[in-house]
Amino acid sequence: MDKAKKIGIKIFVYAVMIFTIIISIFPIIWVIMSAFKTNAQILSSPFSLPTHISFDAFAYIFEKYNFVQYFFNSAIICITATAASLIIFAMGGYVIAKFKFPGKNLIFALFTITLLVPGQSKAQPLFSLVMKLNLYDNIWGVALVYLSFGLAMSMFILKSTFMSIPKSLDEAASLEGANFFDIFWKINLPLAKSGLATAGILMFLNNWNEYFYASLLTSSDANRTLPLALQFFTEAFSYDYTKLFAALTVVVLPGIILYACAQEQVQASVAASGVKG
Amino acid sequence: MKKSKKVAVSKLEQKNYKWIYLFLLPSILIFLIFYLQPIITVFYTSLTKWDGFNKPVFIGFKNYITMFQNEAFQISLRNIILWSIIAATLHVGFGVLVAFILYQKPKGWKFTRAVFMVPNVISAAAWAMIYKFIFNDDMGILNNIIRKFNPDFHVQWFFSSPYAFWAVTITWLFYAVIVTLIVLNDLMAVPEELTEAAKVDGATGWQVITRIQLPLCRNAIGTGMICSITARVAMYEQIALTTAGGPGDDTMSLPIILVKSIQDMKYGYANANGVIMFILGLITLAVINKAFRMNESVY
Repeated sequence: MDKAKKIGIKIFVYAVMIFTIIISIFPIIWVIMSAFKTNAQILSSPFSLPTHISFDAFAYIFEKYNFVQYFFNSAIICITATAASLIIFAMGGYVIAKFKFPGKNLIFALFTITLLVPGQSKAQPLFSLVMKLNLYDNIWGVALVYLSFGLAMSMFILKSTFMSIPKSLDEAASLEGANFFDIFWKINLPLAKSGLATAGILMFLNNWNEYFYASLLTSSDANRTLPLALQFFTEAFSYDYTKLFAALTVVVLPGIILYACAQEQVQASVAASGVKG
Repeated sequence: MKKSKKVAVSKLEQKNYKWIYLFLLPSILIFLIFYLQPIITVFYTSLTKWDGFNKPVFIGFKNYITMFQNEAFQISLRNIILWSIIAATLHVGFGVLVAFILYQKPKGWKFTRAVFMVPNVISAAAWAMIYKFIFNDDMGILNNIIRKFNPDFHVQWFFSSPYAFWAVTITWLFYAVIVTLIVLNDLMAVPEELTEAAKVDGATGWQVITRIQLPLCRNAIGTGMICSITARVAMYEQIALTTAGGPGDDTMSLPIILVKSIQDMKYGYANANGVIMFILGLITLAVINKAFRMNESVY
């Protein structure tokens, strides 16, 4: 290959990479930066760095609005829904991975086919279900619906995780008198840590960012989750951009921090679940 | 020795049936309550007039007829088709391009891969909001850049025709990290002997890509297309929080109509909408599966 062509390719490669990086993080950096500026600065010089660091906007939104409440609502819903569904799907994935029983293939096929159902198409029946249970406008109603998310994806991930744990361990434990539950809980579950983490992180992120069902199933301020709060903030401070940007920063940061901590795992799991899906 | 072990295991399984079904029960309940029952309800009640309080009244295909005559629905369908085409070509194309670039492992490829994922880990609602600000006329980045060259420039991207449709498109157009990750995963699994052998036979770099690597990644590319098209069918936040379907019905989509019908207590009509979403998903799956021969093994 001649030199000019090589250099041309190199320039193209880096141009695409720089473009990708800019469109991915520049908007977020701009939002965070603007949260520290005054309204006048945001309007007059949108690209400049903040002249001094002021947390006033953050203090304001936490004082005047129930931001702490929104945060806890999100946290309670996501932690309980993710933890409960992780245990439930782990139990299901474990027996599907390790045992032969009548109906096994049918059950697994039915679980995985749910991947094809667009979440929103079930909106009305789920809305009515939550109404019937008297859980409308209640964080537990939202948590209940979130419990069902990720059935197909978790089954894929957890089934293959449990399949990779040698059966000989189970047999040895069984000979020593361990019962079915102990073999699952004390031997298999600890060895399935990486698969559990993968499925758990994906489900948690999904729940943390969920908007559609949260907005459909709640109405009052006390039951709002973080993504939901954003919309009401736009109405509340329509032209007070500093506060809007502060609110956005608070909503966006936890997800980014979680991702930063488990970056490799999230990427690997997306690649893996995509291949099977 | 080996035989006796096998017998012991199956005995263990026999004894454990009770446990096995007990372990499966919660997952099965979730499937029945949150998937099977809703889907049956959606299909059945889409043929009824129903307000949620009184009993559903069977009215045949009336909901569907009304729906297809409704202008907002027609525009939604047109939007979904247009968005799906853009998703399958430009969006997936960009994702594949980035995958092939990262595969060469240029300096900073891991950083690029990591950063590309960030828009996907924050909520779509927040991302829509960020774009609402980027396209804001007063303080948005875009118009401020344009005004550096043309000081009198003012366009409300999300609120004026025909820009709103394209403004919504931009919010997702280049964010194809899922496609990139699954294609990259497949690309890394292509045996090196294959590409080496082709090079020895005198294939150029471009030929290696188009004749060997791209065809071998077709499952991943197909999966990426299915994911991104179904995401367009179900796109909600990017519209609800920016244009809310406007101006006029320019950026209308099925989930927006569905939510509005639920709020108006038109449950039968809402579910007819849900059925159409469901069917669009199935069509996408069938078409892409066929086009990419995804059921056949690649190697």
